[in-house]
Amino acid sequence: MKLLTHNLLSSHVRGVGPRGFPLRLQATEVRINPVEFNPEFVARMIPKVEWAALLEAADTLHLVEVPQGPIQDYEHDENFLRKMHHVLLEVDVVEGTLQCPESGRLFPISRGIPNMLLNDEETES
Amino acid sequence: MLKTLKSAERLFLLIKKQIPFTVCSVSKGKPLNEIQRLINDDPRSWLNAISIWKNLLELDAKKEKLSDTDFKSLKRKLEKNEVIDAKKFKIEQAQEREENRECQLEKQLEEKLEQRDFPAERGMFQEFQNDAENSADNHNQEDLTFRVSCRCSGTIGKAFTAQAVGRVMGIALRKQFGWKANLRNPDLEIFIHLNDIYSVVGIPVFRVPLASRAYIRTAGLRSTIAWAMASLAEIKAGAFVLDPMCGLGTILLEAAKEWPDVYYVGADVSDSQLIGAGDNLEAAGLKDKIELLKVSVIELPLPSESVDVIISDIPFGKKFKLGKDIKSILQEMEREI
Repeated sequence: MKLLTHNLLSSHVRGVGPRGFPLRLQATEVRINPVEFNPEFVARMIPKVEWAALLEAADTLHLVEVPQGPIQDYEHDENFLRKMHHVLLEVDVVEGTLQCPESGRLFPISRGIPNMLLNDEETES
Repeated sequence: MLKTLKSAERLFLLIKKQIPFTVCSVSKGKPLNEIQRLINDDPRSWLNAISIWKNLLELDAKKEKLSDTDFKSLKRKLEKNEVIDAKKFKIEQAQEREENRECQLEKQLEEKLEQRDFPAERGMFQEFQNDAENSADNHNQEDLTFRVSCRCSGTIGKAFTAQAVGRVMGIALRKQFGWKANLRNPDLEIFIHLNDIYSVVGIPVFRVPLASRAYIRTAGLRSTIAWAMASLAEIKAGAFVLDPMCGLGTILLEAAKEWPDVYYVGADVSDSQLIGAGDNLEAAGLKDKIELLKVSVIELPLPSESVDVIISDIPFGKKFKLGKDIKSILQEMEREI
């Protein structure tokens, strides 16, 4: 699971609503995969990023050189884009857990795939 | 090169096209004679077509056989063909509904392609005419094995069975060219389509259907349809595309191959499907482009309005069953867009 994906996931446990974001990340196995750098693609993802969540996740994984926020004219700053590319796309959590900050419910990540299926009692509907 | 046509189902090398055969109920012999004449009247065109077909196969195997000029003009013509196919296909698509997609598409594609092949094939014809006459291939053609596949519909379909027509063709071909029939594993397959609109004879360009892709290990949805769906979705660079019931990930794979600068996410509730999808991604080398999640489509853990495009082959119940009803699923998907 890449950090770009983690940035979008929120908890759907009943009653939690917007407080279900961001999910707290714990990783037992992390892999760094080299991914082809595509500056236009990264530049387009930047506006979608929730920075607080990203920084929290990057912190838990002890990543270094993580930009703290979008900088002026980031679309043309290759250095910035490369760092973001690494953080968002090249870090892969293979095993770990995601925790709902409100309810405490744990969602396991196994073989890179997070399992977010809820039981019937936990669902909103 | 022809293999890059993504929504094409079957391609044929045209041998003959003419007006439909007339059938009168009294004498059944006449159309059978006409069928024989297809072969006997113009054996030259048959031999030329076979040479072209052979050349195409060799082109596939080793690309140096052709001279540069031939190759370039061939490329141009093929590119034109592709563009025409894509355009016509899009128009066709817009008029159809999702449920009928599978069956109608396949038939129409076949027919459209046969008609569209004419300009390209004629062009290739001239190019290769010189090659065909110069080469000594004609001598080798005596030891070809062949099989005739026949499809008849319309008025002539009511008068004759496919087997009858196939048999007549087979006998005539054997008489004319000395080829042997081999039903199991022929060198050459001849296709004949007879209906109320046209009578066409051709040779399929590829032995394996175009829908079987080199990069997909286990296909779920037919890959030509998956590509067509992705193409209709108008995926733009930098978009977030979700397939909430991705199964083996066929749609996402086709989309990611064609439109790579996009963030793809596939979700499914079934472990076995996700493992299959993971295998497919690995085999295709697309593991960095597509993310997988194990989530339920009615409880998507994504914030509202976060997704740009949702594309999915919803399990209607034929192959897989849904846990909940469709309405709640559609509501949840709507929330995401």
